Amino acid sequence: MTKVTIPIGPQHPLLKEPLSFLLTVEGEQVLESTLRLGYVHRGIERLCQERTYVQAVHLIERVCGICSHIHTTTYCQGVEALSGLQVPPRGLYLRTFLCELERIHSHLLWLGVLAKNMGFDTVFMYAWRDREIVLDVMEELSGGRISHAVNVIGGVRIDLDAAHTRSIQQRFDELERQVEKALALINNEPSLKARTQGVGLLSAEQVARYCVVGPVARASGVDVDLRRDFPRPPYDQLKFNVITHPAGDVWARTLVRVQEIRESLSLCRQILAQLPDGPTSVAMKRRVPPGEVVSRSEAPRGEVIYYIRSDGSDKPARLKIRTPTLTALITLADQLRGVNVADVPVVLSGVDLCIACADR
Amino acid sequence: MDFEPVIAALQAAFPDVDLAPRAAPLDDTFVTIPAEGLRRAVTLLLEDWQLRHLSTITGLDTGEYVELLYHFWHTHGLTLRVTLPYAALRIASITDLIPGAAFYEREIVEMFAVTVDGLPDPRPFLLPDDWDGGAPLRKGV
Repeated sequence: MTKVTIPIGPQHPLLKEPLSFLLTVEGEQVLESTLRLGYVHRGIERLCQERTYVQAVHLIERVCGICSHIHTTTYCQGVEALSGLQVPPRGLYLRTFLCELERIHSHLLWLGVLAKNMGFDTVFMYAWRDREIVLDVMEELSGGRISHAVNVIGGVRIDLDAAHTRSIQQRFDELERQVEKALALINNEPSLKARTQGVGLLSAEQVARYCVVGPVARASGVDVDLRRDFPRPPYDQLKFNVITHPAGDVWARTLVRVQEIRESLSLCRQILAQLPDGPTSVAMKRRVPPGEVVSRSEAPRGEVIYYIRSDGSDKPARLKIRTPTLTALITLADQLRGVNVADVPVVLSGVDLCIACADR
Repeated sequence: MDFEPVIAALQAAFPDVDLAPRAAPLDDTFVTIPAEGLRRAVTLLLEDWQLRHLSTITGLDTGEYVELLYHFWHTHGLTLRVTLPYAALRIASITDLIPGAAFYEREIVEMFAVTVDGLPDPRPFLLPDDWDGGAPLRKGV
């Protein structure tokens, strides 16, 4: 049969973000694929070097349009470590509360996108309806659904009172019920299993070779989570399970992510129950002492890393960002080799791509 | 993972150079490796210590030379620092040792105009195809 090369993207109906693929197919089978990034490269690393540490927070919030808060968290954590700032416990708890809300919203968004791309619109509607619960809570806390501007260097700018806490807890009850329904569906729905089981396979060995992180690694049986393995306060005070699954296919990734929503909900409840009293932030000094730091966090998609070097001025001398999507993109050539053309959307959705993150 | 024996093993592999191990905040240690010894150091980390997770490679232009930082991690960070003078901006690829390094090395090529010898696919992947503005993260370019 003749080999045909099909260009897909950068603008295409599958993803809302631009990414270009070249698929070489023979009949219905994908032989190989190459990809091209850069269509939303904004030069954020360089732009941050021309801004002060405080101004850079707002730019970094815009690296990602889904997990904006974890980026500022990781950046602030690095600058705080360089400056020797001790963030008050209440500030750290509130910061982490938003990190976990963001993980729930990101995983539900992803579940909806996966369902939509495989033609399962009911699940898409349910997932995005339930995601609104989390978005409402985040909007009440910060004023923004996606861009929260909650983190400041030295803490957070939001606080929570008892009445608001009670109202949030009630809505968590509803979300918990919906997550259990979603889990039952993933475990039992034959059409969902038929589309996702055995598709987009990635072994634990491939995960190690490509240095893959986050839910994609955990769904291949690799037991890694920075919240447990590199615990920054308050994760050392909270109890949660790291979810893994040995299958390494899109179905396992679905199961891992939805079970992680359950763990995140439990973390949110623990944070609300244990929230310490006191201030939420401390003042920072405009200039940061000379030095360098590597700051890591567990974003919804896995390890995000910021390298920050200070020359003693009020602007970073170098700021480097590596987002988890980049590690997943490297594996796509392997995952797509040999799959049916109709399964390409499922494979691409399975890794939870965030192109703006990868491009920076 | 305790990194002291790893650093001692690296120092033993490069007896003529001072690796100058330095602790950084948030559990990271930086060691300086001679550029020509990079592949030997990475092989040692992979084979003797099963340290396989390369988080990323950071390039940086100090204004006097270019630095490359290879950030490894296993419950604690270990960063290998390599310095390249402007006159010799070349480094050996480690993509055959760690396939996950491919995108990070391509980024070093396009952002810092460093030649990575042995990189299978050195095409730019972030900058436009017709970009002629030089290496964007180099000082004064």
